[in-house]
Amino acid sequence: MTSPGAVTYSGAAARRILLRPATTVRSLSRSLPTTAARPLTTSTSTLPSRQQTSPQPQQRPPRHLQSRTYHSTTHPSPPGPFTQAETPLLTTALTSHVPLHGFTLTSLTLAARDLSLLPISPSFLGPSPVFRLIHYHLYSTRTTLSSLTAVHSASLSGLSPPEKVELLTWLRLKQNEAIIPHWQQALAVMAQPSHVPTAVKELALLADEIYYLAGDQSVDPSWYTKRGGLSGIYAAAELFMTTDKSEGFQETRRFLRRRLQEAEELAGVAKSVGEWIGFTASAGVNVLRSKGVRI
Amino acid sequence: MAAARPALRRAIPSLRSSTFLPHHHQRPQCLHHHVTISQRSLSTSSPFCNDTQTTTSSPSSDRETHFGFSTVTESQKRQLVASVFTSVADSYDKMNDLMSFGWHRIWKDHFVSTLNPGFAPLSSSDPSSPQHILDIAGGTGDIAFRMLHHAHTVNSNPNVNVTISDINRAMLSVGKSRSAELPASQQAALSFVEANAEDLSKTRPLTPILSQSEQTFFDPATATSSIPDNSVDLYTVAFGIRNFSDIPAALREANRVLKPGGIFACLEFSKADRHPLFNSVYKEWSFRAIPLIGQLVAGDRDSYQYLVESIERFPRQEEFRDMILDAGFKVSGQGWEDLTGGVAAIHRGMKPRV
Repeated sequence: MTSPGAVTYSGAAARRILLRPATTVRSLSRSLPTTAARPLTTSTSTLPSRQQTSPQPQQRPPRHLQSRTYHSTTHPSPPGPFTQAETPLLTTALTSHVPLHGFTLTSLTLAARDLSLLPISPSFLGPSPVFRLIHYHLYSTRTTLSSLTAVHSASLSGLSPPEKVELLTWLRLKQNEAIIPHWQQALAVMAQPSHVPTAVKELALLADEIYYLAGDQSVDPSWYTKRGGLSGIYAAAELFMTTDKSEGFQETRRFLRRRLQEAEELAGVAKSVGEWIGFTASAGVNVLRSKGVRI
Repeated sequence: MAAARPALRRAIPSLRSSTFLPHHHQRPQCLHHHVTISQRSLSTSSPFCNDTQTTTSSPSSDRETHFGFSTVTESQKRQLVASVFTSVADSYDKMNDLMSFGWHRIWKDHFVSTLNPGFAPLSSSDPSSPQHILDIAGGTGDIAFRMLHHAHTVNSNPNVNVTISDINRAMLSVGKSRSAELPASQQAALSFVEANAEDLSKTRPLTPILSQSEQTFFDPATATSSIPDNSVDLYTVAFGIRNFSDIPAALREANRVLKPGGIFACLEFSKADRHPLFNSVYKEWSFRAIPLIGQLVAGDRDSYQYLVESIERFPRQEEFRDMILDAGFKVSGQGWEDLTGGVAAIHRGMKPRV
C-alpha cells in the first residue's frame, strides 16, 4: 500500500471523491422533472424546444446521446426514434394519403410511389409499418407542440397554469383534426399488445410535454398525479373527439374542460382529506400523550 | 454410406496440414478430392440453417476467417461449410424442429409476413406491379415457398417471381424436389440458380447432381449467367449470412443487385444477452443439448458443434446493423427486430434512391 502506484491511485480516487458532490448536485438538479422549464410568459419568440421540431436525427448518434432522463434547454436534443431515411416516406404518407386511406399499408405504398420507391419499400419500416406510421403521427404532433405554443404565445401569456394546460391539450387535440375519421382505427392498432408499451410511453411523454410547456415547476409527488391525470383525460378526450360531430369540435373542448375541472376538484378534495387526516392523527397522538402514553 | 463419421473438428487440422494449401487459390476446386471425403463422412448431418453460402473470390482465399471457434483461411472455411451442408435432406426438418422446439417455423412465417411480398394497394385500377424476390442461401426453399404463398395466395398477386440461390447444389436439389408439391403457378414463378452470394455476377442455373463424387459447391468458372444491377425488389437471406466468409462483400453485392427502394432482409441468429437469465438457459441448451441431439438424431456431433459456435461468433445486432449501413443501406429506427428475446433477429434495410 505504500508503493508509489498505490499513492497515485488513492490520489486519483480522492480527486474523484472530491469531484463527486458537485457532479451529483448538477445531475440531480437536471434530473428534476421540470427544472429547465421556462414559463411561457417569459418569452414570446424563442420558446424552449427540448424536442427538435423537425425530426431529423443523425443516423448513428453516440450511445450517450441516445437517451436522457432529463430535459435540457442548453444541450441539443437527443435524436428521436425515427431515422432520416424513413421520415420522408412517413411524412408523405401522413400528409398526402392518411386523410383519404387512413393508417394503412395502402397509404404507405402510395407514398412510396410518390417518392419513386417500390411497393415493397415500406417493409423496411419494421415488423409493423402501420404502427410505425401511427407512432410517427404521435411523435411529430408532440414535437410540433412547442412551435405551436410560440404561435399562440399571446393568448397563452395571461393564463393561469391550469388554463395553459387546457389550451395546450386543446391545441394537441386539434392536430388530430385531419385524420379524425381514421383515429379509431389507429387507436385499435395502438391497443394491440405488442404496441401498447410504445403507445403508452408516447402518451406519458405528451402529458409531460404539456406540463413542461405550461411552465409547471412541481417537484413533489404531484408531478406524478398531474401527469397521470392529464394522460387519462387526454386519452378520454381523444376518444370523445372521434365521435364528435359538432362545429369545430366544440363539444370535445367542453368535454375536456369539464374533465380538467373535475380533476382539479378531486385534487382539492384529496388535499382536504389529507389535511383532515393529518390534523386528526396529530390531535389523537396529543390526546394519548396527555393521558401519559409515551409516544 | 459412411459408417464412420470422422469429426469435422479433426478435418480442420488435416486441411491445415495438407500440402495443397499454398497453391489452391488458383484452382480452388482442386480441393475436391479431399472435400469429397469429408462430405461422405458428414453425410447425414442436418444443420439448422438452410444454406451453405461460403466464400470467396480466389484472390482472398488465403485470408483468415473463422469456422466456429477455429481460425481457418477463407477457402478452408468454404470447404468445411460445404461439407457441413452437403446431403442434409432428410433429417433437416426433424433436426430444426428438435433444436428450436419448432420456433424456426414461427420465425420464418413472421419474417415473410412482415415483409409482405406482392402487396399492391390498387390492384383493381393499377395492374399489380411485378416483383422479383431473390432468396440467397435459400437451398431447401423454406423462405421461398412461403414468399410465393404469401404473394400469390394472400396478396393475390401472381406477378411475383422468386429466385432461389445457393452455393450448394445438394441443398438446391432438395428445394427443387420439394417444389414439386407446390401448385403449378407457383412452380412456374420459381427458379433455382447456383451462385456465390459474394459475387452474384457469376451464376448458373441448377444442374442436377449425377454422381456422388461430383463437386456440390458452385465453381464460378462454370458460370453462364449473372444477376444484373438494380434488378431485384426484395433480397432475403435466412440463417445463411452467418456462414459467409466475407459478409461485407455479400452486403455490397446485395446493394448492387437491388433496385433503388428495394429491401434487404436478413433473418439470423443473434445475441440474447440483454436477458441474462434467459440467455444462460439458452447457452446451456445450445452448447450442451444441440450437439447431443445432433449426435443422437443425425449421428454427427461436430456439424452441430460448428453450428452453435458460428452462432456465438456472429456479430451483435448493433454491429451487424452498422455493417448493413456501411454497405449503403438505410434502416428504420434501431434497424433490427429481436425474435424470442434476441435468439434470432431480423435486420431490414432499404437501398435508397440516390
